[in-house]
Amino acid sequence: MLSMKNINKVFKTDLVETHALRDFNLDVEEGEFVAVTGPSGSGKTTFLNIAGLLEGFTHGDFFLDGVNISNLSDNKSAAIRNEKIGFIFQGFNLIPDLNLAENVEVPLRYRGFNAKERKIRVERALEQVGLAARMKHLPTQLSGGQQQRVAIARALAGEPRFLLADEPTGNLDSLMARQVMELLEDINKAGTTIIMVTHDAELARRAQRNIQIVDGQVCDFTMYQGEQGSVAQGQSVADVAAAEVVTVASSVA
Amino acid sequence: MFQVKPIISMLMRNKSGPLLLLIQIILSVAIVANASFIISERIGMMSRESGIVEAEVFDFTIYNFDENIEAETQPLQDLDIIRQLDGVKGATLTSMTPLSGGGWSSNFSYGSSEEDSKSAPNAAIYYSDEQFIPTLGLNLIEGRNFYPDEINAGGPELASLAIVSAQFAKDTFGDESALGRVMYRGNIGQQPMTIIGVVEKLQSAWVDNDNLELSIILNVKLTSSFNRLLVRADENAIVGLKEAIPAALHKENPNRVVRGFTTISEHRTSIYRNHELMASVLSLMVVLLLLITSLGLAGMVMFNIERRTKQIGTRRALGAKKRDIVSFFLVENYLLCLIGGGLGGLIAVQLGQQLMTLYSLPKLELIYPIITVAGLLVLTTVAVILPARKAAKISPAIATRSV
Amino acid sequence: MFFYYLDLAWRSIKKTPFLSLLMVLAISIGIGITITTLNIYKMASVNPAGERSSSLFAVQLMSQDPDTWENLSKQITYQDAFNLLDSEVPVRQAAMFRTGLAVQTDDVNFSPILEGVRVTGGDFFGLFKVPFLYGGPWSKQVDKEGGYKVVINEDINNKAFGGGNNVGKTLLLNRKPYQVVGITKTWHPSPKYYDVNNGAFNDSEQIYVPFSLAPIEEFESWGNNNSWRHEDIRTYQDRLNSEMHWVHYWAELTNPAMQQEYKEWLVRYVEQQKALGRFKRPDAKGEVSDVATWLAYNKVVPEDNKVLVGLSVLFLIVCLVNMLGLLLAKFLKRAPEVGVRRAIGASRLQIFSQHLVEVGLIGFCGGALGLLWAWGALSLLSSRFDLEGSLSQLDSSMWFIAPIIAVSAAIIAGIYPAWRICSTNPSIYLKSQ
Repeated sequence: MLSMKNINKVFKTDLVETHALRDFNLDVEEGEFVAVTGPSGSGKTTFLNIAGLLEGFTHGDFFLDGVNISNLSDNKSAAIRNEKIGFIFQGFNLIPDLNLAENVEVPLRYRGFNAKERKIRVERALEQVGLAARMKHLPTQLSGGQQQRVAIARALAGEPRFLLADEPTGNLDSLMARQVMELLEDINKAGTTIIMVTHDAELARRAQRNIQIVDGQVCDFTMYQGEQGSVAQGQSVADVAAAEVVTVASSVA
Repeated sequence: MFQVKPIISMLMRNKSGPLLLLIQIILSVAIVANASFIISERIGMMSRESGIVEAEVFDFTIYNFDENIEAETQPLQDLDIIRQLDGVKGATLTSMTPLSGGGWSSNFSYGSSEEDSKSAPNAAIYYSDEQFIPTLGLNLIEGRNFYPDEINAGGPELASLAIVSAQFAKDTFGDESALGRVMYRGNIGQQPMTIIGVVEKLQSAWVDNDNLELSIILNVKLTSSFNRLLVRADENAIVGLKEAIPAALHKENPNRVVRGFTTISEHRTSIYRNHELMASVLSLMVVLLLLITSLGLAGMVMFNIERRTKQIGTRRALGAKKRDIVSFFLVENYLLCLIGGGLGGLIAVQLGQQLMTLYSLPKLELIYPIITVAGLLVLTTVAVILPARKAAKISPAIATRSV
Repeated sequence: MFFYYLDLAWRSIKKTPFLSLLMVLAISIGIGITITTLNIYKMASVNPAGERSSSLFAVQLMSQDPDTWENLSKQITYQDAFNLLDSEVPVRQAAMFRTGLAVQTDDVNFSPILEGVRVTGGDFFGLFKVPFLYGGPWSKQVDKEGGYKVVINEDINNKAFGGGNNVGKTLLLNRKPYQVVGITKTWHPSPKYYDVNNGAFNDSEQIYVPFSLAPIEEFESWGNNNSWRHEDIRTYQDRLNSEMHWVHYWAELTNPAMQQEYKEWLVRYVEQQKALGRFKRPDAKGEVSDVATWLAYNKVVPEDNKVLVGLSVLFLIVCLVNMLGLLLAKFLKRAPEVGVRRAIGASRLQIFSQHLVEVGLIGFCGGALGLLWAWGALSLLSSRFDLEGSLSQLDSSMWFIAPIIAVSAAIIAGIYPAWRICSTNPSIYLKSQ
């Protein structure tokens, strides 16, 4: 479904030349849940931007759904982002002036759906994340976890082939992080491929497959054979975290 | 204390914003300098005094369409009737009214023979009588007024004596006295007219010519079916006289049209109307332009502050005083103003040059761009200080926040 | 999509009311001033002759001696006017000047009024296409032999007779009876191109009498009377025989061949007059100018107007630069949101369009408000400065011109900020908020 072959990305300034990605190779199959980890500055974000067609690359080949998408025009890459890719960000990146329904509607607008179709899809997406009742609220009226769920709804509304998540739980406390993570897992089970960048090793372990990027190269593959075990382990960690949060919350109250 | 260098390098790095402000300042200076120059030129024109008690003197016309009316004697009777009305201080028959926009002008010649004949400057010609000077309240500074028996009734060819304005005397005869000099209509020797008096000031009917102050009064009451009268009266009586005069004249003979009562002040307003209009529109333009420029500047500063919040916080954390933050923005503004003002001044001079060659406008004086830049400095200081003070209140703690 | 962009634009404007108001105000003031000066300029520079402009010609003659006037005078002498009428080249031609006459009727209760009167030939009405309500011009015979005929307009018809068809009735002008032969509709060409000396924007005369009556009735001239030499003018006959320039002359020459023929006729006329001892200048000549040339020659559009239009366009540019700066700041502040939209699938073009629509909306509001300013300014100017009515009316074309200028000017100012915002890399704004 996604295949990167010898991708190189070089940033040039007047003084220095930085190799953000160096002969980067990655294949992601349909329906996979891939976690990408790595230290800061390793090239995680560059990988995500290239995978999300937000940035071009210096050389190499990138196939999406079997189509070579090197050197696409802005219009075409925008259309592919719109139809095939859903984005989830650490900072949620909801548009503050728009209410929830309008936020979720944005990609549908750019895809050119009519009003009726938009309405159906917005409602379905918000129901999926459990926020259908708060459609008319503004993002600032929601908690961080709720905002991230809206962002997920926005990513899902266009029924993309895969989701790109950039530290989706980075700004959330552990209870909310767990809810969001569960939501992502549900989505993955329903068939959507997910690539998630994170530096949280616990979270990464819950994915089917872990990739580490070091110095712009894929460094290590760890395939988790025992899916059951890893999920159980993850859950227990999350439970402990949630219990802690409750304690803190009650002591504050 | 003023960190000019870092400001310059910052301006250079962030090109578009400062560049736009610069363009705005350049254009504003160019426009405001030229506009205020034109305004002051027009105000200068409008404030030239006529030497007449303008609010007390008014003119009107009598049109006698009855053929039985005696053109020579009727005006004398009319003047008598008018002089007897309450509030009237004086009345005279004239060929034209100062500042009215219409009338006679002529080039007379002078000299001892046809060979050294010179042409006197083009001057307004008032055909009137001995009452003209007292009625208008003119100040006779040399020589004498006409005697009543020196006034001829008839056509322009009967003129033999002249009283001239001081400016005319000076422009024509220089430092020599004009008294006793003779002017001719046409060639030397043709219809001699002797100058018997000089009045301090008498303006013509046209304000846009160079010869505004050049006037000649000749000793002829023109006979015509169309008479123009000048009356001086108490200011309060003028409204009533506008009714009383036609009534009294119609009582004497109804076959005439009496109309057009206009005081000299009203003539002044109307003849300078275009200049006043120009000055008003330009003033409005200048005020609005400065307003827009300073509001725009204030808006930009506000945005810059928002964008530089963290930087300002960091500076504060590193020990910058509130005053330093404000002066940072002020120095930035002054730099832009001075560069913009300098370039704007150059363009203003160019624009002035263009206006001068294309249209009959005088040359732009350099003081105007300079004053404009100075004014802009003051105005923008206010426009910058208000938002910059807000910036100075930014907490140093913001620097440590990793937003 | 347009309405979606419009909706977004409206939200954006509402979100930053102060800044938006500032921009709308800036552009509206720029537009207001530009439209005001442009309107006065346009009204003053309109060519009222329309399509007849190129076939109507003002005739000038350089009859003065050497070392007197340097240029062609706008008017000609009576004797030349009288002679020019003999030419058979023009389709129509008329000499004319302005006078004033006391108007009375048979009704003794009608108090006499003094009216501006045009003394001219019967061709005048055909030359300038004066529309008639009743009757028509006087006959050619009247033009030759003189006759007490008069054409009046609707207003005088109403004042003197109370309206209706009064052709054939008698009007007293300076106590002489004139027979009304025609009643014209109210007709005020602006500028009054056939006689720009007597106030180009004054109302035209309401009464017309035959030029052929001038020597008999001795109509005074209410226009400019210019002499290049001193002449002893005591009687009206002296005036008619003099070298004084005081008569306007117009001829209709419908095609280039006719114009050429008339120019040649004028050359012969000048030669003939030279033989008679007049036209002493070596460069003595006749000149014809069509209406457009004539209006330009007479500087009907005051120079002040042109200066004002020029300055107000510069003013508008300042307003736009001002707006450009504010837009740039505003748009760049919105970069994170744009980054999200780009990531979600908006193309550069869509982002660009979204922002241009917003700028256009601001421009449109500015244009509408600017029209209001212009209307206010014109009303204020006309009441304060007694502007001639025709100059102070907001020309209907301005209703289209103002928004068009406003929107296109705003869009020009908005192109750079919109381009900047749509071309920034979205990814840098997505990492953190």
